[in-house]
Amino acid sequence: MANTFELGARPVYTGTHVTRRQDDALLSGQGTYVADLRRDGMAEIAVVRSTVAHGRITAIRTAEAAAVDGVIAVITAADLTDVSPYPNFASAYTQTPGTFPLARDKVRYVGSPVAVVLAEDRYIAEDAAELVEVDYEELPAVTSLEDALEPDSPRLFEDWPNNRLLDLQPDDSEVAAILASSRVFRRRYKMGRHTAMPMETRASLAEVRDGRLHLWCTNQHAHIARTTLSYVLPVAERDIRVAIPYVGGGFGLKQHLYPEDVLASWLALRHDRPVRFVEDRAEHMIAAAHARDHMMDIEAAIDDDGRILAMRVQVVQDLGSAEIFPGAWCPALTTAAHMTGPYDIRHCVVSVAAVATNKTPGGSYRGFGVPEAVFAVERFIDELAGEVGVDRLDLRRSMLLQPEDLPYTTASGALLDSGSFAESFEKAVELGEAAYRRAEAQHGAESQSRVGVGYAVLFEGVSPTHHGASAHWAGHESCSIEIQPDGGVRVASGVTDQGQGTTTFVATLAADALGVPIETVHVELADSDATPYGLGAFGSRQAVVGGGALLIAAGEVRDKVKRIAAHMLEASTDDLVIEAGRVHVAGSPEPAVTMAEVATRAVIRTIDLPPGMEPGLEATARYEPELMEHVPDEKGRINANAAYANAAHAAVIRVDVGTGEIEILDYILAHDCGRVINPPIVDGQIWGGVAQGVGGTLYEDLCFNDLGQPQTAFMDYLVPSAIEMPELVIEHFESPSPNTPLGIKGVGEGGTVGPAAAIGNALAHALAEFEPQIRETPLSPAVVRAMIGDQQT
Amino acid sequence: MSAPTARRVEPAAEVPVSVTVNGHAVEAVVPARQLLADFLREELRLTGTHVGCEQGICGACTINLDGEPVRSCIMLAAQVDGSSITTVEGLASEGLSPLQQAFKDNHGLQCGFCTPGFLMTLSTVDPDEYPGEDGIREAISGNLCRCTGYGGILQAVRTAWNRIEDG
Repeated sequence: MANTFELGARPVYTGTHVTRRQDDALLSGQGTYVADLRRDGMAEIAVVRSTVAHGRITAIRTAEAAAVDGVIAVITAADLTDVSPYPNFASAYTQTPGTFPLARDKVRYVGSPVAVVLAEDRYIAEDAAELVEVDYEELPAVTSLEDALEPDSPRLFEDWPNNRLLDLQPDDSEVAAILASSRVFRRRYKMGRHTAMPMETRASLAEVRDGRLHLWCTNQHAHIARTTLSYVLPVAERDIRVAIPYVGGGFGLKQHLYPEDVLASWLALRHDRPVRFVEDRAEHMIAAAHARDHMMDIEAAIDDDGRILAMRVQVVQDLGSAEIFPGAWCPALTTAAHMTGPYDIRHCVVSVAAVATNKTPGGSYRGFGVPEAVFAVERFIDELAGEVGVDRLDLRRSMLLQPEDLPYTTASGALLDSGSFAESFEKAVELGEAAYRRAEAQHGAESQSRVGVGYAVLFEGVSPTHHGASAHWAGHESCSIEIQPDGGVRVASGVTDQGQGTTTFVATLAADALGVPIETVHVELADSDATPYGLGAFGSRQAVVGGGALLIAAGEVRDKVKRIAAHMLEASTDDLVIEAGRVHVAGSPEPAVTMAEVATRAVIRTIDLPPGMEPGLEATARYEPELMEHVPDEKGRINANAAYANAAHAAVIRVDVGTGEIEILDYILAHDCGRVINPPIVDGQIWGGVAQGVGGTLYEDLCFNDLGQPQTAFMDYLVPSAIEMPELVIEHFESPSPNTPLGIKGVGEGGTVGPAAAIGNALAHALAEFEPQIRETPLSPAVVRAMIGDQQT
Repeated sequence: MSAPTARRVEPAAEVPVSVTVNGHAVEAVVPARQLLADFLREELRLTGTHVGCEQGICGACTINLDGEPVRSCIMLAAQVDGSSITTVEGLASEGLSPLQQAFKDNHGLQCGFCTPGFLMTLSTVDPDEYPGEDGIREAISGNLCRCTGYGGILQAVRTAWNRIEDG
């Protein structure tokens, strides 16, 4: 039977502002995060971290620390005899870092866990951690992707042939031939290193209860975390429960199962005491995943009007030490898959290298390779327009996908089945030009000011396969729905909620799909003992695949409700509708039976069921998008996502030529995420996404010196405040995908992927008289001031 | 090699503290080095006060100390002897305060981790000292939020402070 993705007869919640069910608790301080949990007999850990970027461990002295009052144990890698390294399922095409919870022979970044102190509380654990002495034989550090690519670069892993964890060089002969016979334009772009910086740091609490390991943690995936623990620890998966309470923002950073989760679990098992780890912010700066740090080299064959005929691109991602699970090379692959933008560019070949350096491991972060691609492509087009002498907007128009081009398969294999590329672009241009004229009128006469407008138009893969990152998991999601005897509904799903409103959309779709009041729906998420196996939060996927699984399960339950009700009402199933928890013939509200009456018959008064019908009123369903591909074809092409959202961004900025400071005067975003479930939540995702994009473009920078010592404390890591964040103008387009449940696309990352490109282009426009080279982020005042140089008028 | 000598960390001195927290008198003897945030969270189990950075930067741990917004992560519990503290748990005696309700109505929170800090800062400032739209932004500029981009928060404050412009 084909999957049915239907809401009920009269959806009343979907598409409206359903207020979030967690908010009362969160607003009154009753939301319980991992760090808020305590257990009787609980002990806490402090991690001793490497102080050198690259070195061989020659000695670790723990006796002094172990002798401190209140210290229970001090452990090093040597104690973890029953722990396995994190697996690498991609060993066919990647090198293996052999990541282990504690450094075994070498350390490869400042912050790498070397030893752990378990003590009665965190104060004592930190005291004792200071007494652990580690001797290192220091080795030369590799601190940039350029250095890592050098053939004679010091190697982080002796068993690798070089520092390239991933090195994909597809056949480029077709594109090379076009380049050889055409005018060619080349540029190199880089995006700096910044990261998610959720307001809640990482935390875990492990406890052994009834012989089973229970781990409450901040991870974005209950089941992937459980499975991974079973790979690493000597514990059967059935004896592990992973439960995730309120989480203070994930943004991809909490996708990884970190060493501390394993260490807390191992210590709880070994010492039979609850063990809590709460990361402090100083640790977070060096030990939680960093992100971006990409270089994109573009060569394009162009025609006389500047239109791109073919592209050859090299993407290089700096992985840091690469000691992270799941591995962190997938953003580079995602960058590669987005290098054509939403343009009709028929030929594009991308080579991808992901290199190890002596810096904090890179990992997942909202946008996941797409901001890098959009920055490079959109800056490239602006520079190309300047080179050829054509208008930058007209050059885009000449290549942009038009409605009649859809569906369109990009050169890298992405199936763009729907979208509003040209329409959203024209809306952003209309509003952007008007805002620019206002800015000119207001600031044009100021000698200290230059104003500019910049645009970025983009598509973004949403609901991707997990296989690109793990070479293991794929793309499904799960949902169980049970109607209980009193008519109440219990929904359990593999999706998780880090604040993005997952719980609310699950309740919304379930209430509409079943025709019940939303107050009667209980939602259970993120507990591996209570929910079916699902993949959780990544890649703006949950409304698409979580919604799909829910709608399939709800459809099965709804059908059975109608069959039972038809028997009770002596009516035909086809004539019945369910509204507000009552089942009746369409158009005639009486007679009716309630959901409670139907469910009571289904599970209690089963002797009254129609002859031959099985008891029960529940269903479990799984949904894996049919067109999503998990492995590239022989030419490297892959449709790695269930859907593709699109957007056009416009930034109007004022630059102070004296200080180099950029002020965003207006920010316009015309976006399209298909069918909208909850408008304020969609807007909230866009606002938050733009703030993170603005932060990474202008303010946030994770710096290292030549020794690999981190140079950025939280004080210097400038997360935008309300002062820096502009008011947004959001224009909604709605192009439902024909290939996803209800036409839903994801919205979690759309705001983040455009600001670097739009602001970069606005800066080039504002400073045109100075002919600046804007090819890297962040665009800090110092960087901008250097572009202006002494030419200031 | 000689056996290691245990270097003992001096036991912390303890300090008696009398403090009113959310209207209740609290008498406690606290370790001299205990942070106020840890005292509230671990001893009094008022875990609505969140610790985001332990450096006084993010504002998540903001509490009301004798009418002033204070970062409980860079203050010692021993320092609040004789003071009166309100935490997010004490903002409303029943249900939600108008400010809390405005956050809920305007999607002014997502993950909720920073939210108590915003609420406590806003509950201690006089709106008249922060006029206009810029004033709202200034009032909350010492609190960081990573989810909302401030859009919903700004709208919540405009609502609570009756600054919604017509049209």
